[in-house]
Amino acid sequence: MLSEPGHYDYAPYRRRPRITWPGGARLAFWVAPNIEHYELEPPPNPRRTPWPRPVPDVLNYAWRDYGNRAGFWRMADTMAKYEVRGSVSLNTAVCDHYPEIIERCCELDWELFSHGAYNTRYFYDMPEAMQREVIRDDRATILRASGQSLDGWLTPALSNDETTQHVLAEEGIKYTLDMLHDDQPMPVKVRRGSLISIPYSLEVNDVPLLQLRNTPPAQYAAICKAQFDQLYAEGAESGTVMCMPLHPYLIGQPHRIAALDEVLRHVTAHDDVWLATGREIAAWFTEHHLAEFQAWIDGGTP
Amino acid sequence: MTGLPDSYLHYPHRRRGLDHDRFAFRALPAAAPVAWPGGARVALWVAVHMGHFPMDAPAKPFVPPGGMERPYPSYWDYTQRDYGNRIGIYRLLRVLGERGLRATALMSAVLATRYPALARDIAAAGWEVAAAGIDMGHLHHGGLDEATERGWVHQAVATLRGAFGPGVRGWHSPGFSQSMKTLDLIAEAGLDYCTDWVNDDMPYAVSTGSGTLTAMPLPYDLSDQRMLHQQMLPTEAFTDAVLAAHATLDAEARASGGGRILTLAITPWLMGQPHRIRALAGLLDALQARDGLWAATGREILDAWRASAGRAEKGQT
Repeated sequence: MLSEPGHYDYAPYRRRPRITWPGGARLAFWVAPNIEHYELEPPPNPRRTPWPRPVPDVLNYAWRDYGNRAGFWRMADTMAKYEVRGSVSLNTAVCDHYPEIIERCCELDWELFSHGAYNTRYFYDMPEAMQREVIRDDRATILRASGQSLDGWLTPALSNDETTQHVLAEEGIKYTLDMLHDDQPMPVKVRRGSLISIPYSLEVNDVPLLQLRNTPPAQYAAICKAQFDQLYAEGAESGTVMCMPLHPYLIGQPHRIAALDEVLRHVTAHDDVWLATGREIAAWFTEHHLAEFQAWIDGGTP
Repeated sequence: MTGLPDSYLHYPHRRRGLDHDRFAFRALPAAAPVAWPGGARVALWVAVHMGHFPMDAPAKPFVPPGGMERPYPSYWDYTQRDYGNRIGIYRLLRVLGERGLRATALMSAVLATRYPALARDIAAAGWEVAAAGIDMGHLHHGGLDEATERGWVHQAVATLRGAFGPGVRGWHSPGFSQSMKTLDLIAEAGLDYCTDWVNDDMPYAVSTGSGTLTAMPLPYDLSDQRMLHQQMLPTEAFTDAVLAAHATLDAEARASGGGRILTLAITPWLMGQPHRIRALAGLLDALQARDGLWAATGREILDAWRASAGRAEKGQT
């Protein structure tokens, strides 16, 4: 076992090279809807039991299913109202199960990136060859369903193996969301090739807030706005990133959707915000800032 | 390192639609529009969880929401829930009755025989009764053998129909839990609708080995059990959320031209407490002050849906 991920060096939040986003924006804001399928009868995994109740866990299965049947459509309409595109953390089997959802994503010019095939297939202890097989399958599926290249990755159910980031880089993935160590993009140390991390979030993520911390919708909106306000202020010094991960089975409920509307109204009322996708953030950082960041890190973060 | 077998990446159900064959995938915007009586936009369904929780309920395979959470013999858990069937339910009957509202009681069958006076009062109030299993100690789950489960379903339905007549047409499994056979068994018992799959805002058809059932929307995420008991939120978090849900559903009904359903899922031992009952009254007043609302029981909503949207969706398939 490793005592740390080993994918990055310590880099203090001071004296960093300055990030400038397109148009002089302070903050790159991106929304990552997790569009998922949790299987009714998943295969057993030695490290994690997929459902809290015995199969069939009708309550928890149906709750996730709500996201695809009802919540997604409401969430997508709300995002479209503010012209905020999504970068979809996609269980790629959704392309086969519910192609109408993918059609709607494409119609809205959303990015699709991979969140594995199903959210009930974990990467813990998965041999590298199998990880590659999943990534290649995901790449082919996303290309077939949308014509897009696969550039980003979030391991299904955040179940990464210690080898996963290396395999991602070798398979041509450009950005990973598996690490929560920063509010700015960062190079990721991998054994071959190159990979960057861009900020995801488990702080303003609706699962930890709404489902685990029991946050009422108004307080959820207040937390998201506070996160935005602070990162927007800090972005005056050097560009920051705010990610809002969403799960349609939670945020898409009738009693919560107004909270998303409120947050997006707040964000889009600010001038110096770059409404970006994950791919756009990764490409911009790689093209304009990666070399300078790498040199600064290689120089011992002076 | 244990690794994983090659079969870990076999996806036997990766295909169009769901990974089971009980019902079709239906995106909410693609649902056939439903017309409610009087041109109402939102049907208000008050569904009351009337469970009986035996003090010796098994902790396996899991403890359902509101189950016996402390070591046996937990007078705390047992009597707090029993309070609902003695006191809380009468507050609910009064508050709803004063407003001309009738609920659907999702009732443990044993209540009809344990507390016949309560059963008479529920019937006299004109409430609908739907079968919610034998009691909260009889959980339907995948480990149950079919003959046993069939016996439980038939016993629950027979008991409640004996007390309330053939108007018992709905089913709610204790703790929203089912086996792979539950849908077949409740259809076999002659029921018309089921409330266990919290995956939609509108009814949809479910196929079984004994004909078609209708799934009716009964929320868990938006319920007093989830919010007040499990999440331990203040009462206003629940009542505010119900009003927010109504606003969303009403706006969608206006925009789409099809009706929506707001199901108010409440529990006598929670919302029937003295410190909460006025909040329930206030919530009902606020809902009734909004126009375009049709308050109805589950089976009334079921019949209205079947007569319009359900018929249209059947024609499509």
